Amino acid sequence: MDPEVLQRFRIGDESAVKAVYDRFGGPVFALSMSILGEPGLAADATQQTFIKAWRAASTYDPERSFSPWIYAIARRTAIDIYRKRARLVVSDQVDVVSMAPGLETVWEVFEVRAALDQLPDEERQVVKLSHFDGLTHGEIANQLGIPVGTVKSRSHRAHQRLLVLLRHLEEM
Amino acid sequence: MGTDDIRPQYLATGSGESPADHEQLDLIRGVLAESSTWEEPPEGVVDGLFATIAREGHAPVVETAAKRQRPPWLLAAGVVAAIALLVIGVVSVFDEPIAETVVAMTGTNLAPAAAGVASLRPTPSGWYIRLDVSGLPAAPEGTYYQGWVWNDDEGVSIGTFHLRDGDDAVVLWSGVDVAEYPAISVTLEDEGAGPEASERIMMKGRFEELSEG
Repeated sequence: MDPEVLQRFRIGDESAVKAVYDRFGGPVFALSMSILGEPGLAADATQQTFIKAWRAASTYDPERSFSPWIYAIARRTAIDIYRKRARLVVSDQVDVVSMAPGLETVWEVFEVRAALDQLPDEERQVVKLSHFDGLTHGEIANQLGIPVGTVKSRSHRAHQRLLVLLRHLEEM
Repeated sequence: MGTDDIRPQYLATGSGESPADHEQLDLIRGVLAESSTWEEPPEGVVDGLFATIAREGHAPVVETAAKRQRPPWLLAAGVVAAIALLVIGVVSVFDEPIAETVVAMTGTNLAPAAAGVASLRPTPSGWYIRLDVSGLPAAPEGTYYQGWVWNDDEGVSIGTFHLRDGDDAVVLWSGVDVAEYPAISVTLEDEGAGPEASERIMMKGRFEELSEG
């Protein structure tokens, strides 16, 4: 993100908060959905995440990457909501809180969604129709009313771009 | 077909020539196929956010993490709770049981204030190991922490981390059976150094018996 926006975010500037939400609202919601599985709970987690981030904005170190900072808040917020719903009393003395499902890939979900949000709309659309809807290039071409060759080139560019945007995942 | 073409092709289709990092690409493909990856937050989220901001006014200045050190008694309580979990053995997620073993970890003389627990459970792709640590400072610039599991002869890396953005839980993975590598440690490593573990052991623990199933 623009360092100037992050500097303004640190002092609680509303337009900077909006810019941060526009950039990370999707990834935070995707992460929350991944952990909680219900849109209502995920919306609550997303809203709480950004309120907490705004309240704690002065603790953000602008020399560090912003993405892991907001990710940590989002993850903890979603887990807290999950725990409140999943608390199981297994003995008179011990209140065991279970582990939320999907935690193994939650960082990948957050990062993949953040990368998708940086793709041009026409490339993002092809990726969605291919992976989520399971359509072939021919079916995508029919649905969008464009030549198959255009679908292929958009798909190739999109996946190349995703690999660049997600290259840091390989280093983890 | 060159490497530059193989990877986007594999990411797009999951077929054809398999690149060296195909497992990572398969993971990304799995995420791309999930509906949660594509869903948009409702409009009400941003409305509620700005309603809260308007109600509360300026963002408060929050004390830094360094000032929010957990008192020792709280950590001790956490370790006791973790050991209680070890005794209980099986933790349930709604109706789905997950076997999880919890091991106490202690700081060495290089990090005497460090303490925490390692939670381990088997998965189809390896051992999931989560570290919840307290009192371990962020790794200095130019260094990082590395997790290891050990038997009597050798150590196997289970991942690296730095804690520079807070003390959130650290998730590591072991591709070897931890029953065969029963000691766990965290070392401090220099960036650019070789693959061997340094002698700067910051934390360590040992699991004597693993509950599986």
